[in-house]
Amino acid sequence: MDKLREDFLEMISFENVQWDRVWEETVATLYMTGYATLFTFILGLIVGIILFLSGRSDGRFIRVIYLVTAFLVNLFRAVPFIILIILLIPFTSEIMGTIMGVKGALPALILSSAPFYARLVEIALKEIDKGVIEAAQSMGANIWHIIFKVLIPESLPALISGITVTAIMLVGATAIAGVIGAGGLGTLAYMVGHTRGQPDVTLVATIAILIIVFIIQIVGDLTSKAVDKR
Amino acid sequence: MIEIKDVSKLFKTKSGDVQAVDNVSIQVDKGEIFGVIGYSGAGKSTLIRLLNGLETVSSGDIRIGDDYINALSGRALRQKRQKVSMIFQHFNLLWSRTVEQNISFPLEIAGVNRRERKKRVKELIDLVGLTGREKAYPSQLSGGQKQRVGIARALSNEPEVLLCDEATSALDPETTDEVLDLLLDIREKLGLTIVLITHEMYVIRKICDRAAVMENGRVVEIGEIKQLFRNPQSSVTKRFVKDDIDDEETNVSFEALREQFPNAELVKLSFVGSKSKTPIVSKIIKKYDVDMNIIAGSIKHTNKESFGHLHVTIDTSPSVLEAITKDLAAENVKLEVETHG
Repeated sequence: MDKLREDFLEMISFENVQWDRVWEETVATLYMTGYATLFTFILGLIVGIILFLSGRSDGRFIRVIYLVTAFLVNLFRAVPFIILIILLIPFTSEIMGTIMGVKGALPALILSSAPFYARLVEIALKEIDKGVIEAAQSMGANIWHIIFKVLIPESLPALISGITVTAIMLVGATAIAGVIGAGGLGTLAYMVGHTRGQPDVTLVATIAILIIVFIIQIVGDLTSKAVDKR
Repeated sequence: MIEIKDVSKLFKTKSGDVQAVDNVSIQVDKGEIFGVIGYSGAGKSTLIRLLNGLETVSSGDIRIGDDYINALSGRALRQKRQKVSMIFQHFNLLWSRTVEQNISFPLEIAGVNRRERKKRVKELIDLVGLTGREKAYPSQLSGGQKQRVGIARALSNEPEVLLCDEATSALDPETTDEVLDLLLDIREKLGLTIVLITHEMYVIRKICDRAAVMENGRVVEIGEIKQLFRNPQSSVTKRFVKDDIDDEETNVSFEALREQFPNAELVKLSFVGSKSKTPIVSKIIKKYDVDMNIIAGSIKHTNKESFGHLHVTIDTSPSVLEAITKDLAAENVKLEVETHG
């Protein structure tokens, strides 16, 4: 019991915490999350739109596109993130020039979360009133008009809440990547907090991550609400 | 203006083939308001979607203006659609856009520049009577206002043809009248051709010049409104006409009436497309110096004529009654004796 009390006191003593290091790793986490979210948004949106549009058509060629895309999406979603990082090592070192640090973590982060977001995009697009798409077609809209003037604006609140969920998931994924050397708050908590036996550092890293998650959630909710005119 | 020739549409579904439109031929003149009426599943929805190529024909030809819709595809079809616009039962406005942005939408698609768009949108908002609501979102509008936006949006590229897909079916009776009046008004002002589908005879009667009655994908009857009302041929048409005219069915109890008016003739006056706005009943009373008592009745007006029945008692001799019958016939009113006193 005394041991537990001692640990707890050490944890809240913050005597081992180097605050400039904490800030540095927080920035690294924000970078990773930010870039990964940005690319996930773009890639997921494109794939989600392809899934939605090809899933609506009954042409044979388009049906094949749908099946191939859906298969790839399911494949990447099925592979656990930690394994995906390892599988992607040759690919990552080829295109990023390194497998370490923020740069080394990005390919795995994006490839694991983009398929997830693509499914959220597909669901969001399916919620759009079919009549509105038909109305746009009846006005002579082409596929690009429909994508940029109907599909994206009409599903925007759901697209934003989807990317909010995805971004929060990405914060968690950066922490996992941190354990194998991506940098950021995950690295801090594991490499410093755990391996050197400094639980106060782990606590600080955890709090920093929680703050990031809360901010993302609040900003996401407010934005989604602001664009919803229904 | 519009020529639908031997058009059929077959949907192949997993549960079997559905012949939605079956060998339909219709011609619509320029400036005409043409109605297609039928119960749900009659194929009218499919038919109207064939007109702007939202559905493709299985066989037959559809010509609008100089173009065969079934021969167009891709870019040419999309350009044609700007001139054959459509309004919908559920309005289908973009919730993410304000009233003016919704009306501007087809102009953006057509590649009209910003200044021209602004000017056009303002004119259209005035035309449909939505001035002051430009910045409102659809969620802030009533059903009637939403349909006005729908109409303004459909008119923005100055179409030749306006297709109305059950455009008033989601509206209450008063708002229906407002929207129908607006359609008459824009036909007058812009001279465009209107094709509308509906399941309400009231809509047909109120604004259409001619109509087709559809059942099971086929046109079972087609003609001028007065002809459909005066002399309905098919059982569907008869049902639509009857439902419309007799919606407050006059269940006249002849027994009771005979007791009340022992010496009078009980007659039914059928107004089957009377053009005259003259007060027929009071004219007869004055001319023949007879007592006439209106028992029950229901008269409906189309945009040109009157239809319906009046049940009246006339206290007079058979010879005078014959003269009255002749006079009424000249006004297109049919007199039938229902009981002899």
